[in-house]
Amino acid sequence: MNLQVFIARRVLFFIPMLVGITLMSFILTHAVPADPVTANLGEQAAANPEAVATFRHQWGLDRPLYEQYGLYVWNLAHLDMGTSISTRQPVALDLKQRFPATIELAMVAMIISLIVGIPLGILSAVKRDTIVDQVARVTSLVGVSMPVFWLGLVGLLVFYAHLGWAPPPGRLSANIQPPPFVTGFLVVDSLLAGRPDAAIDALQHLVLPAIALSFYTLGVLTRMMRNSMLEVLDEDYVRTARSKGLRESVVVLRHAARNGLIPIITVIGLSFGRLLSGAVITETVFAWPGLGLYAFTSATSLDFPAIMGAGIVIATVYIFVNLLVDVAYAFVDPRIRVS
Amino acid sequence: MINHSAYDSLITFDGEDLATPKPSLATSWQVSPDGLTYTFKLRDGVKFVSGNPMTSADVKWSFDRVKNLKSNPAFFLDSVQEVQTPDPATVVLKLKSKAPALLAILSSPALGVIDSKLVQSKGGDSSANASTLDKAESFLNSQSAGTGAYSMVTYTPGQEIDLVKNPNHWRGAPKLDRIVVRNITEAATEKLQLQRGDVDIATGLDQDQMKSLQGAQGVTTKASPAATTFYVLLNNNPQVGGAFSNPLVQQAVRYALDYDGILQIAGPGAVRLAGVFPASFAGALPSSDAIKQDKAKAQQLLQQANVGQVTGAITYGSDEVIWGVQSAVLAQKIQSDLNAVGMKITLNGLPETTALQQYRDGKNQIGIWSWAADYPDGENFLVYAPGNTVGKRAGWLADANADAKDIAQIAANAESEVDTAKRVQLYTQFQQRLNQVGPYAPLFAPAVPYGFRSNVQGVTFNSVWGLDFWTISK
Repeated sequence: MNLQVFIARRVLFFIPMLVGITLMSFILTHAVPADPVTANLGEQAAANPEAVATFRHQWGLDRPLYEQYGLYVWNLAHLDMGTSISTRQPVALDLKQRFPATIELAMVAMIISLIVGIPLGILSAVKRDTIVDQVARVTSLVGVSMPVFWLGLVGLLVFYAHLGWAPPPGRLSANIQPPPFVTGFLVVDSLLAGRPDAAIDALQHLVLPAIALSFYTLGVLTRMMRNSMLEVLDEDYVRTARSKGLRESVVVLRHAARNGLIPIITVIGLSFGRLLSGAVITETVFAWPGLGLYAFTSATSLDFPAIMGAGIVIATVYIFVNLLVDVAYAFVDPRIRVS
Repeated sequence: MINHSAYDSLITFDGEDLATPKPSLATSWQVSPDGLTYTFKLRDGVKFVSGNPMTSADVKWSFDRVKNLKSNPAFFLDSVQEVQTPDPATVVLKLKSKAPALLAILSSPALGVIDSKLVQSKGGDSSANASTLDKAESFLNSQSAGTGAYSMVTYTPGQEIDLVKNPNHWRGAPKLDRIVVRNITEAATEKLQLQRGDVDIATGLDQDQMKSLQGAQGVTTKASPAATTFYVLLNNNPQVGGAFSNPLVQQAVRYALDYDGILQIAGPGAVRLAGVFPASFAGALPSSDAIKQDKAKAQQLLQQANVGQVTGAITYGSDEVIWGVQSAVLAQKIQSDLNAVGMKITLNGLPETTALQQYRDGKNQIGIWSWAADYPDGENFLVYAPGNTVGKRAGWLADANADAKDIAQIAANAESEVDTAKRVQLYTQFQQRLNQVGPYAPLFAPAVPYGFRSNVQGVTFNSVWGLDFWTISK
């Protein structure tokens, strides 16, 4: 089977998965033992049958469940995700405003994890059992075991409150006007609008939350890279390379690290999902108006259209990233395409 | 807070006060002797931000729209039959039934006067079918259309609201040019930002943060009374309440609680309540009349009840924080107080919405809840009467027994009594009876905790609308 067919098959597989996701989120949100009326109407209105009936009718909650679901899927097929009960805006618009904030954060966090985690893993394997290795192992242990919430708050306390190096939480300083919405990535939009001041401000705001969020992935990557390198460094071809008299740096980087990276691709895919779920907490601590915070507040107010919308987007991203990983894998290792 | 800054109501209050209605868009008012007609004279020369003059037609349109949209604030105008406009400067409210709390109700920011010309041109509708015809919501979410000191220019739901000053405001131009209201979800983060001076005013702090801000440089902390009552609900329905439906056990609970310790949890400024009315309301029982902890008496009452080992579960929102008071901390305290007199109490902490649902469905055996006044009149707290909203949640119906019937009647009389002195007397009587046979233990009225930079002046929190931005300067 060639690569195109492989990709096409995976993409087609995407459609039943999407339907499955909507069904799962629909069932789960309706299984919560609470009524959206309780979460959205005030005490007096909730006690008034007329106000309750108006609310139910307005949001289609007076229809049978299967009809509600059918209508939702029908509208979704027409690219309409409905209107959020709490923001009163189309869910698609809400998501458009928030999604880039989360992706911006997750991508920077991923970049930090990669450029720190992989070299650290390699170094730690090569300098096994030295002080460098110990530092790397402790760093990865902290990353994997400390909750993002704690890391974020301590980061704020030290670097923002005490040292004053980091800017306050949020995406931009209050005195800086946000650039017009183009991509939703503040750094990119600021540059497009020719506003380097806003771009720098946005970038500064990104650093601390991205580092806090990256810690877990960084820890996992460092560990995996170290293990994978240790395995590869014992292989015959590495010994051969060394015995040919190649420089150690060439042996490590060109021969060992390349092969050691293969299992890491899978980890990157899985970690991206972890970054998205970690974003919920990071966004709460850093007042970051992203998808995670949106999903969280929608869930607490039983805002069905918003929960479904957020669920679909997060799941889609996750599936998409894993698709990329599969493709990358198939590209690197031709044996995968056959099975 | 935003509504109050962008829109004005007919009536207002001064500062933290909730007792004396003051003129706002209405300069004077008259109540007919039968209490069914209210006549308001409107302030001269008030203009909306758009430049349109504010007239009685705008008041009528705004009130009709609130009524006909049938959403959260519609109940405010339940007693109003018709809004009449004999001339542009006069508004007459004709009532269906007597509503002595009407003036207090009219102070609500939800009853702010809207620029009807402008909003109608953007799809606004106030007719009987407004709940389906009105299309102005998205417009009103993008900008405000009132006479207020500030006008809203951007609104990003859940994130930020930007206000700019209205230089032609009728009280005079406000002192700040622009106000940014930001949603900071994590209270600890908010505290750090206040300390660093990146925010000027923080209203989302909890009691832990308030404590650690004491003496912080450049920060002033304050607590203003909140028109909210915290109470313990004991279900009167034997199927739900078990032993707690027994009046003697209910009385034992009232004597078992360590109210001083509970006040510590509520934080500075909180006031012990003798009845279900907040202390600042007319008709509230004086704090000195409040039941004091008496463990021996509680144990004796339990013996007298003769129901064997009393067991039960306290339901509360485990993630709920109201005016800085964490329900989970309060629940633990009450659990240990009740266990100290020999009961066996477990904790049933649930996500806020789920706990609230069980409470509204009348399924809490013991619950820790609060009731917030929607407008500053004791009438709000008649919900505790048998058969009323909270009464039903406590499984206490008006026909339960002679006491219940009696108390329900007192509440009904108070609701329609136009004579203030008589009404206040009924309020007092109502609470005293509740303290004898009601399935509640009133705890405290909290104080709204907030902090601001010391160079900011005029920051006062009113329980009805929050901050009045017009008084704030820097």
